[in-house]
Amino acid sequence: MAADLALLIPEIIVLLTIVFALVAEMLRLPRIALGVTLLGLLLATGMTLPLLGVDTSIFGGTYRIDTLSTWAKLILLPATVLSILLARAELGGSDREGTVYVLVTLVTLGSLVLASAGDTMLLVLGILLSGLGSFALVAYPRDDAATEAAMKFFVFASVTGAVMIFGLSYWFGGSGSTLLSDLARLETKPVVAAVGLIAVIVGLGYKASLVPFHFWAPDAYEGAPVSIAAYMSVVPKIGAILALAQVVRDLPMSTDWPLVIAAVSVLTMTYGYLAALVQSNVVRLLAYSSVAQAGYFLLGIVAVGASPLAFESIIVFAAAYAAMNLGAFAVVMATGRTLDTFSDIGRKKVAMGVAMVIFLLSLAGIPPLAGFVGKFLLFGASIDAGFTWLTVVAILNSVLSLAVYLRIVVPMYRPRDDDAPPVPAPAPMPWVRLVWVIALIFTLGIGLAAQAMLGQLN
Amino acid sequence: VLPMVSITLFLPLLGALLVMTLRKAPAQVVHAIGIVTSGLTLVGALWMWSRGVNETGFAQLEELDWMPAIGAAYRVGVDGISLPLVLLSALLFFVSFIYSAKVRERPHAYVVLMLLLETAAIGTFTALDAILFYVFFEVSLVSMYFMIAGWGHEDRQRAALMFFIYTLLGLPLLLAILGLYLGSEPHTFDMRVWIDNPPLEGTAAMLALVAMLFTFAVKTPVFPFHTWLPAAHVQAPAAGSVILAGVMLKFGTYGLVRFALQMTPDAFREAGIVVLVFGVIAALYGAFAALAQTDLKRLIALTSVNHMGYVIVGIAIAALALDPEVRAIALDGSVLQMVSHGLVTGALFFLVGMLQDRAHTREMDQFGGLLKVVPVLGWSFVLAAFASLGLPGLAHFPAEFQIFLATLRVEPVAVIVILGIVITAGLYLRAIGKVFLGEPREQWTGMSDLNTREILALAPLLILIIVVGIAPALVLDTIHKTTAMLQF
Repeated sequence: MAADLALLIPEIIVLLTIVFALVAEMLRLPRIALGVTLLGLLLATGMTLPLLGVDTSIFGGTYRIDTLSTWAKLILLPATVLSILLARAELGGSDREGTVYVLVTLVTLGSLVLASAGDTMLLVLGILLSGLGSFALVAYPRDDAATEAAMKFFVFASVTGAVMIFGLSYWFGGSGSTLLSDLARLETKPVVAAVGLIAVIVGLGYKASLVPFHFWAPDAYEGAPVSIAAYMSVVPKIGAILALAQVVRDLPMSTDWPLVIAAVSVLTMTYGYLAALVQSNVVRLLAYSSVAQAGYFLLGIVAVGASPLAFESIIVFAAAYAAMNLGAFAVVMATGRTLDTFSDIGRKKVAMGVAMVIFLLSLAGIPPLAGFVGKFLLFGASIDAGFTWLTVVAILNSVLSLAVYLRIVVPMYRPRDDDAPPVPAPAPMPWVRLVWVIALIFTLGIGLAAQAMLGQLN
Repeated sequence: VLPMVSITLFLPLLGALLVMTLRKAPAQVVHAIGIVTSGLTLVGALWMWSRGVNETGFAQLEELDWMPAIGAAYRVGVDGISLPLVLLSALLFFVSFIYSAKVRERPHAYVVLMLLLETAAIGTFTALDAILFYVFFEVSLVSMYFMIAGWGHEDRQRAALMFFIYTLLGLPLLLAILGLYLGSEPHTFDMRVWIDNPPLEGTAAMLALVAMLFTFAVKTPVFPFHTWLPAAHVQAPAAGSVILAGVMLKFGTYGLVRFALQMTPDAFREAGIVVLVFGVIAALYGAFAALAQTDLKRLIALTSVNHMGYVIVGIAIAALALDPEVRAIALDGSVLQMVSHGLVTGALFFLVGMLQDRAHTREMDQFGGLLKVVPVLGWSFVLAAFASLGLPGLAHFPAEFQIFLATLRVEPVAVIVILGIVITAGLYLRAIGKVFLGEPREQWTGMSDLNTREILALAPLLILIIVVGIAPALVLDTIHKTTAMLQF
């Protein structure tokens, strides 16, 4: 038991961070809450490093400490730090500021639980933990838009959560256990396995905003503060994707689950980009883009068990996605929510403009940026697993995605019409700049130094 | 031993970084950095040329581990097909920098993009790792997009977008690369391994070939995938056009040889006839379409479709030829044609740019009698135009002659492609007649002739057009070392 707890140090640190930050907030010391949260998260990241290479499970197999869960910590904890910096810039000084940091960290903890789940009950726990915090975060501004978004989000989450728990009961009935590692017993019960699988796709699919369970995402992102939208598009989503990977690695092949996942992937990528193509609100555009990106993750999921590249590709793309998406949202925060505000911004703010172009090109998968390396590995994994057609669809969608991202790039370098109302130059936001600079370093670095990651993964 | 390939490859990138740090430097300094950097790069390329290639495979190899976990590495080197193209690229970039020293609109960004483009171009030709190749291939595209969007003419947003979207159809290449990777045992992205032991066969090879053909056909461009080319050219700034036609179109034909022909040779032989037909159609279509133009820049852009069509014909003939000697002749002609086209079309685009700077129009009907007003510009155009229509003694002749010779030996019917020469001759004579002959119009009498900067940019190209025309062996010796040894 003590040995088990030693492996759980990062999670314990995160939990203690939440407690201390909450105490600080109750004493009305938001700056202390901020400091405690950032320090705690960085400490937890540092304490994760010794776990690299560990592959085991604790608490009777219910909680996994493996490549996926360790890298989830290494990616999600720093991503949370960046999100909190964004939140500080956007919501700093508001009433109850400290609760934002507490809730964000709580959602991260839920996401880590998801990524480490070895048991169906932990899946449910992770979904609830990350969900409850998210509703409150979306509703934080307390205006009509935010309240409506949070309400929609809550109703959607409740229904999908209920469906998931219902479906999971079939797995329990069929295998006599809640452990994921016992799912192999469903080999001869394909119907039971399929019902549970669909339920899991519904439950995790809502969290990862897979089509057709994505409807809450654009509204929630739009209603929420931009920093919260940035956060939700990265951390809980990656947590849910990794949870899906944890589930399918134990699922017997007799259910044809890769085919189901592949179908969802096609829907998600295509619908996400098509919908993004007609948005004029940049936050909504990025929301649909993040829906589509979730579809790319599934290329790695279909290859789980069939290709050695599967986990590597998911992890590399997760890191790349976290960096480039947070970077793009940071620039949106510093600029504005509508496409109009991007007019000519590339000339007024040269460095930020170049950074935004790099984030968007990386999201589109242009080499040698991080997004390319990630997608390239995902393509390799899915071809290796025999899903060439899925890769072809993904590549076609990459073409479509370019049109989507160019919708932001093109106005950035177009001179403003003279008769258009002047847009005030965005005020400098040092914290936001720090975030996009860090994101930029990672977006460029992961592209060039993917080997460092791959070497650790093997 | 100095790693000359890597030095040449990354010099422009270093120059670009230098310019980026000098945010406050005046335009002249920035342009000087561009000229010096590309000049040093040219020296590097000449150095590589003096080291030469060998008869056994790739020469001047330089390798560095990058992602050993998936078999990707930094691998560069040259052979007789890529080395002339490297030298051509270095030269065209150098003269383009001289020519664009007049750019006053955001000179920093302009020089940075051009230098980035130069590294990408040289990288595309020297990469021996498929991932590295793809990276450079795409980076060149992105830089060119911003070049057209930022410094082009009237309708530049649309043209840039079209160029980008069209070329993004290059993604099928990525699919082919993944297929070749997964087919190789053990998995590697080393292009030399793929060339020595083609990893795919049967249907898989054919699918990979189709994907590659699609990408390279858009890039070359082959009818009916050529519609981006006139739009992009007409809107691009003059130096952009020179690079686009002189260097970037070669990515398509170079890829066709390096990837399609060398990595899926059996499939290519089966599909050779189809490729040949596309080449013939491209050559004829380009010539006829150019005949219909009144805009000089569009005209030259479309003759590129014609000239690159000959290259495709040569490559297809090389695939179909059973006799290694004929195959070598066809490939010699194709590679030389790429070099000649770079020199000749580069010169022509410069000249049209110079004309446009003075007259602010490119419509042929608006000119007349310019030979008397601006004799240096006029005679330079005549020389370049004669080279472009394939006059013996100038650069295109030895190349096209070898292509036609090989075609006669393998598929005599395809020689109808020779009609293209007649048509280009007609259209160039018509253009020369309209623009340069006759009595000068009053409105142009004050036009100034070429200044020193323009002559410096143009002269190397014109001299080389004559040198390659008279002594093609200077280039062919290098090319032939590789083409003579190729076995499919």
